[in-house]
Amino acid sequence: MTDTTIRPALSSAVADVLERMFFLEGLSEAPEPPPESETVSVYLTFDGNPPGCFQMRLAREAANAIAADFLGEDRESLTDQQSTDVTLELANMICGAVLSRIESNAAFRLGAPQIVADETGLHGPMEETRYTVETGSGTLTAAIQMETRTCSPTQTYAS
Amino acid sequence: MAYRVLITDDSPAMRSFIRRVIELSGFELSACFEAGDGAEALAVLENEWVDAILTDINMPGVDGEELLRRLAADELLCAIPAIVISTDATQNRIARLLELGARGYVTKPFLPETLRAELERTLGVPCD
Repeated sequence: MTDTTIRPALSSAVADVLERMFFLEGLSEAPEPPPESETVSVYLTFDGNPPGCFQMRLAREAANAIAADFLGEDRESLTDQQSTDVTLELANMICGAVLSRIESNAAFRLGAPQIVADETGLHGPMEETRYTVETGSGTLTAAIQMETRTCSPTQTYAS
Repeated sequence: MAYRVLITDDSPAMRSFIRRVIELSGFELSACFEAGDGAEALAVLENEWVDAILTDINMPGVDGEELLRRLAADELLCAIPAIVISTDATQNRIARLLELGARGYVTKPFLPETLRAELERTLGVPCD
């Protein structure tokens, strides 16, 4: 499966989740923030055909703003746990939406999303597809890696 | 008419969001119960009758598939319609869950009106 196959699914999934569940509109692609930016990262793996992993990096301010809107809370009264819960759910939804777009007839199973310190989870031999969007209160970067698909008798996919 | 609904999801944030979306959509709730997994949901149902169950699939402990099996195996609880709310929109998964007894399926992300429509369809509420 190639980057040109996955990237439209990734960008579409990010937009769809943010618009439908978080009521964010007018989203535009943005450059990735520098590594030293204050962000929160979520990592999860998934089983399926093919299996792989997903990572989301979200500006801390954006995480808090999105969580407050999602829960209908004031930002001042939002707890760290609430912000974390919503950020984990956001990553879960985006990853599921990507895989549903790519594998509409196949089964997959998402692992439990986890907060991680950095993006070490995505380093490896697999090809990676990334997409960054400006949410209005900071950037969100979604990245996905998928193992090379097992070729069927009639179809061949590049990794 | 107002309805009694049980929301089952391991994410407190998602439970809170679903409840808020139901209310925002104009669907009338007379009671809303929450459970963190299928076991908690069954414990709630020992003491409370509900009109509909909204359930996630991937949960630690008793997951959504097992909850559907246990509901289907119970002569009383099998009458309560269960609607799955999941990120998984693959056709195989949806078909499998409907076979297990789910009466409806809502894929995340969803719009408030989508959830309301599925609740109304499942409960047989007449359209406005």
